Amino acid sequence: MTDSFPGYIDFYAILGLDAETNPGAIRNTYKKLMKQLLVDISKSQQTGERIDHFILEMAKLNAAVYVLRDKETRETYDSERASLIALEQEWCALPESDRESHDKIRRQFDARVRAFLSKYVEESVLAAALDKEVVETSHWNPAYTRHATRLLRKYRHGLLHDIFERLPFHEVTTPNIDWSERETAAQRLLAEAKV
Amino acid sequence: MARKKNNGTDAPVDTEQVVRAFAKAVAEGDIVNFKVLFAPWAPTRQGTTESFDDPKYGYLLPEGDESSPAFSEALERVKASGTWAHIEGELAAKRPAQLPGELLLLLADNAVRLGKFTAAAQAYELLRARRRMQKVFYDQAVDALANDRLEDAAKGFRIGVGLAYDYAAFPEPLPAVGQYQTQALMLHAVYPTKPDHCVALLPDEIQVQAALDYLLYENEAVARLHEEPIEKKLELIAGFVHLIDPEWDAFLVRYSDTCALIDRFRERMRDGDRAGSIEQQIADQDGGDPHEIMAALLGREIPSGEWWQYLRELAYRNPAAALFVGRQRIGDSEIIMPRLRQDSALAARLGIKAAPEAAGAV
Repeated sequence: MTDSFPGYIDFYAILGLDAETNPGAIRNTYKKLMKQLLVDISKSQQTGERIDHFILEMAKLNAAVYVLRDKETRETYDSERASLIALEQEWCALPESDRESHDKIRRQFDARVRAFLSKYVEESVLAAALDKEVVETSHWNPAYTRHATRLLRKYRHGLLHDIFERLPFHEVTTPNIDWSERETAAQRLLAEAKV
Repeated sequence: MARKKNNGTDAPVDTEQVVRAFAKAVAEGDIVNFKVLFAPWAPTRQGTTESFDDPKYGYLLPEGDESSPAFSEALERVKASGTWAHIEGELAAKRPAQLPGELLLLLADNAVRLGKFTAAAQAYELLRARRRMQKVFYDQAVDALANDRLEDAAKGFRIGVGLAYDYAAFPEPLPAVGQYQTQALMLHAVYPTKPDHCVALLPDEIQVQAALDYLLYENEAVARLHEEPIEKKLELIAGFVHLIDPEWDAFLVRYSDTCALIDRFRERMRDGDRAGSIEQQIADQDGGDPHEIMAALLGREIPSGEWWQYLRELAYRNPAAALFVGRQRIGDSEIIMPRLRQDSALAARLGIKAAPEAAGAV
């Protein structure tokens, strides 16, 4: 399943399901995926990088089931995500010369996207870590929560970065970057750089 | 402290000074000063109480030589009609300024040229070009390595990792820098009870990989070298170490001297794991304290310094040094001392030499 708006964490894509899936199927898929992940973890050699990867994958699956299995939280998530995507589209459609509207929508979007990602990347993982069903299925423990803090922050900033890369420039004027010229420039810099 | 209130008697801003100030920031790859020039209170703006006549803003203006090619190019770009009109508009507006992208790109390039990688990373990041520029430099570095242009390869990787960003930084992402003083502690976190606990004693392949992970500190950079033969990796490491550590040769001399010093303490160290009378043994012997080994390795004594304090400073001053030391228990305390596998290809390539006994060789 491809995510056409990367950055707005897509719990359906994480579970490999579509938006119409019922809560029972969500739970079953979560249990199947988590079981497979735990098998992968037990089979692999534990390097720092792999541990980070597995904890993040586990955290994402936990957050996904925690949000999607409940009708109310799922509806809230769906509507917040859809409205953010709509706001992004509205912003991208603005003419570049209309700085005032850009600034207005940017402030609104910035606050909302940060709140959305904090809620669904970090807070939902923390909430899931206290949920009996999730803890039993994933064997999640408080040490994982401590370890995940930095990983989740990095993941959240990565998502934010993915979103910002699509948005109109506002801190700088839109640069006109010629990438073939950049390669030549990099060659020149390599020769001249005082490193 | 609150800024002075504008009393409305400000002198007009000298446009020529503003242009020169922008050109200086761009030519010097100085993103901090570049942003300062757009600040709401900056002396570049009409209607503030700040002025370039004030000596405290002297650092924003060029001093001396203004004929360098970098300054001339920056001056020309600042004066370009579209850019200057944009700057004037932003300085007149009462809102956060939108930085001119074309100047920022030139600033980033100049920052790379001058080795100001965090400034370059920030500028490229604002332009959303950082990841791609990193890729361009890695591509060129790998290409240079394939063509035996080792200096260019090392430089390419140096620039590439210099442009790395830490998205886990708190509260906002920041340019990533090589925290060797911290990484070295992690490298020696486990007390070596077996040879594979000590990086200096690892077999060549694993040791070289550990050295790359430690020195390049960015997964993407290390991944680019996975397929390279070990000889190329060794050449690259040697070039990289000399780039990031101009004092490496001085460390080699200290390392060798320290190995000579160790001979004096050899017997004492061999007795170190026996009965708890080591302090007495040390006290009974003339000829100093084994902690002198750490001071000799570092080149200075840290008063009451523990092994990890020496290791931190050593790794800060000579990052690659952490790859050729090991922890050693002596009685109730620990020191770091030279450790070396005599047939280590990495040590040979970096010029590390020591007598077998002295360096705890196996």
